[in-house]
Amino acid sequence: MHVITLLIGTLFIPTASAAGSATTGSDPETGLAFWRYEAEGILFELNQRLPDQTRAFFQARGFDADAASQFATSCVFQSRLLNTAAAGGASLHFNLNEWKIISGNTSISMATTDDWMPRWEKQSIGQAARIAFKWSLLPTEQTYAPGDYNWGMTSYDQPPGTRSNLTLVWHREGRRESATIRNIECPADSPQETP
Amino acid sequence: MSIPTMRRQLSVTLLMLCTLLFQPVQAAGSSQLLQALPEQPKAGDFQLTDLDGTEHRLSNYRGRVVIVNFWATWCPPCREEMPSMQRAWELLEPEGIAMLAINIGEDEDTIFQFTANFPVEFPLLLDQDSATIQSWPVRGLPTTYVVDPQGRLAYRAIGGRAWDDPALLDMVRALK
Repeated sequence: MHVITLLIGTLFIPTASAAGSATTGSDPETGLAFWRYEAEGILFELNQRLPDQTRAFFQARGFDADAASQFATSCVFQSRLLNTAAAGGASLHFNLNEWKIISGNTSISMATTDDWMPRWEKQSIGQAARIAFKWSLLPTEQTYAPGDYNWGMTSYDQPPGTRSNLTLVWHREGRRESATIRNIECPADSPQETP
Repeated sequence: MSIPTMRRQLSVTLLMLCTLLFQPVQAAGSSQLLQALPEQPKAGDFQLTDLDGTEHRLSNYRGRVVIVNFWATWCPPCREEMPSMQRAWELLEPEGIAMLAINIGEDEDTIFQFTANFPVEFPLLLDQDSATIQSWPVRGLPTTYVVDPQGRLAYRAIGGRAWDDPALLDMVRALK
């Protein structure tokens, strides 16, 4: 009887994880950390991007070194958000303006494309660079049918090395759902060479 | 409790456990291919140049099904789906179905270099100032629309797809 009770207890673990589970680990090749949240119909992944990677990406697309560094050191992750519902399932809607980064007692909003673009215009960043920037970030707002997804960078407006919790919010069939991924670590920056 | 009853319970429990463990895999693998757009809004017309300097106007394709893909060379899922788009185009082009891939914000040299690794034969159009993508309901790359012969947006896919999937090809062909 105890065996049966134990197995039934085990049986309920996947049910709980279907309601949502967050996992973390590191890429065996790069050593960079990742965080993943998965629940019924949704998968969200964050992969650390080293500031140097991000600097190189944007400098290759027309950003000057200062502007590229401003963004690269704002806690940037490569992100992936998917509607994993089966065919015929519900659509998933999200707006990054609803997401929160909680560090200590402070809660701040994500830095979205709409926050960054005016900065680049003010700094006279060229059109081609601004276009590349706009489309390389995760869309601020999107509605996914089952099977839809986006990749894109997300910026958390935190100094390198900061640890914080991320509360993600999404809407499905008129219901607002949320989850928190704990202890996300902004990628550390390498010392910059002084000329 | 008798041994046979315990065995039965154990079997049922293990069966349920297996079902739950494999459920996420099944769900992820059975996502739909293309999202039908019930309102079928009119596709915004555009006139863009391809890498050979040929101009393509969407309205000139009226009467044909057209797959319109928005992409960039630096976008991982865009790169990933390109070979399957080429395979799909090889099957669909003889049937009169067109495919136009609109690159966002990059120059000809960048795209030429890209095609060395990802050779494709369908037209790659340049939307260097991003005016076309901004006039379409697109928020992320890649996004692909299937335009019906009447010039309406019939299907949408956000994110990459295996464009040579037979079920997906049948959905596109059914618009003819």
